[in-house]
Amino acid sequence: MRTALLFAARLLARWEVLLVIAIIGVGIWSTTLSPFFFVRANLLDLLTPYAFIGLMAFGLAFVVIAGEIDISVASILAVSVVCFSQFYDAGLNVWLALLAGLAVATGLGCINGVLVGIFDLPSLAITLGTLAAYQGLAYVILPGEGVAAFPESVTKFGGGYWHVELPIALIVLVVFAVALGFVLHATRFGRYLYTIGSNREAARFAGVPVARVRVTVFALSGFMAGIAGIVYLGYFGSARADAGQGSLLDVVTAVVLGGVDIFGGSGSMLGVFLALVLVAELRNGMQLANISGDTQNIVIGVLLLTAIVLGNLTRAIQARGLPSIPRRKEVIGNATASAGLAIEPETEVKGR
Amino acid sequence: MSRRRLRFGGLAICLVFAAALVTALTATAGQEAAGHKGQNYKIFLVPKLIGVNVFTENGKGAKEAAKELGDTVIYNGPTEAVAAKQVPFINTAAQQQADAIIISANDPNAVAPALKRAAARGAKIVSYDGDVARDARTIFVSPPSASAIGQFQVEWLGSQIGYKGEIAILSATPTAANQNTWIKFMKAALKKPKYRGMKLVKIAYGNDNPTDSAKETQALLQGYPNLKGIISPTTVGVAAAAQVLQQERKCNAVALTGLGLPNEMRKYIKAGCAKKVGLWNERDFGYLAAYVAHYVLDGKLTGKIGQTFKAGRLGKRTVVVSDGNRPVVVLGDPLVFTKANVDKFNF
Repeated sequence: MRTALLFAARLLARWEVLLVIAIIGVGIWSTTLSPFFFVRANLLDLLTPYAFIGLMAFGLAFVVIAGEIDISVASILAVSVVCFSQFYDAGLNVWLALLAGLAVATGLGCINGVLVGIFDLPSLAITLGTLAAYQGLAYVILPGEGVAAFPESVTKFGGGYWHVELPIALIVLVVFAVALGFVLHATRFGRYLYTIGSNREAARFAGVPVARVRVTVFALSGFMAGIAGIVYLGYFGSARADAGQGSLLDVVTAVVLGGVDIFGGSGSMLGVFLALVLVAELRNGMQLANISGDTQNIVIGVLLLTAIVLGNLTRAIQARGLPSIPRRKEVIGNATASAGLAIEPETEVKGR
Repeated sequence: MSRRRLRFGGLAICLVFAAALVTALTATAGQEAAGHKGQNYKIFLVPKLIGVNVFTENGKGAKEAAKELGDTVIYNGPTEAVAAKQVPFINTAAQQQADAIIISANDPNAVAPALKRAAARGAKIVSYDGDVARDARTIFVSPPSASAIGQFQVEWLGSQIGYKGEIAILSATPTAANQNTWIKFMKAALKKPKYRGMKLVKIAYGNDNPTDSAKETQALLQGYPNLKGIISPTTVGVAAAAQVLQQERKCNAVALTGLGLPNEMRKYIKAGCAKKVGLWNERDFGYLAAYVAHYVLDGKLTGKIGQTFKAGRLGKRTVVVSDGNRPVVVLGDPLVFTKANVDKFNF
């Protein structure tokens, strides 16, 4: 009986479970706000306008778990979108143009990765720089009014529907959530990320190829921005240099609200996905109630702030040495001692 | 365990916070909605962004029209001028079974798919200010026609400098479509006999950024010592140019005109640094757009050229072809702000 209760308590205390409860709560509340909320078409379409944000957030989650940040994702999206449109306009086969756009995005991510991972420069400063540089690059590649009119074979990824009602963008989002969730939680690469995010030095001593993993993680973030670009193109049917502008706040919100520790070392793909659902649902509910856009920003901002503050608070209390969970420093000892791939540091305990 | 409990408490607090905030805010929103009893049509007005004077005025005008017509206008949009952020507002308007959506688009193409989906669910689409792809709306409500905006500014400047001398244009970005169209019509006007004495020596680009616009103005003053006048068809540019003229004490030597907001230009107009500045009445603009939407819903306007209707206090309007764009309803001639009348306007 006691173990059952304990199990229930543990389950309830998981961040993801709480997010689900929050989603249900906001759902009920939105239903009372507007009669148009709890309608199948609305619920199915809830995530479609935010799919490109979610895809960028998935990539960013990897970076943050590894203890870094990448604020250039929206600019990478813009460059990949305008590159695709220029390749396509130049007469390149549409699928090749898509691949080229993706390659550009991955390449730009790689540049971030090399600067951060190999030259060991601070990721916030580097990606702040590339945020501006890539944005400028997008304007150089495609100045002016932009390009529209792309074939439906491409736009269906963002704007199409399967069997009339199921948005294909939602399918894309879920497929990537599952695939990336697998990479993060069930592969060696994923474990490396948690280790590096918890303590980079310890990871290095433990034989983790730190530099290579850090480059890879930024490349992955760029790649996901490219994928997000494809969905963006499909949904909005327009390629302009300002594509994705203004979406960074939402991307970071999804990651942090999803329970990813902003200082690295913990977080889950499911959490990020659920946070995206929560934000999309909250926005949709407020919009259906015709609440002003300013107010919506306040609500989302407060939600994000509270999540960060409380995350930090718990960490501070932990650091003062409350019992029950081993502290980071002890984990380092462990990791160095066992020096292998099988290290399962604290991340396992606090993260997923 | 303590950490998890804290997190649990944390999320709970988050939610209570958010819920309390929004409940408080919806309470007020609800009251507002309840004010419009006996409504006829439900019309959503989605501006490029909210919190900006001109769009707030558009919203007020539209609500004024709605009151006269017995409709309800809901004014809401994103807080940044980004197309991707307008789309959720279009979607939720359609979801609320909007009868019509009036939109000023940030990107004519990016909002088109969402507008078409809304139209498929029965909403009529009217664009104003920032037009959308032609097949995504019924009618475009234009401020003064592009040709009029171009010609008027040449006249405003010409009348100040005796129709002769070197002049320059201070534009926004080299890629801004509306700017380029207006400049094209200015050049056409300058070929007319009346304006032949005016010589366009330079088109500068201030990127709709106050710093760049000020720098470009200074460069114009230094590079063209015989410069008699500047036209800046952008609210950012004209304000920056006026400030530079004032600082450099060149207000009497170089005349300035353009498209400017009365509130931003008031002190320069009064100081004589920009004797004539024009713009259209933003409240009337929203008012007209709401009338157009109403008559489209009534079936009186289908987008056929030549259809006429009475737009309340603005009088009769006709659906026309304007500068090659169709179908268009034009607001009318621009307003001119001078020392004598600028205090009457508040936007």
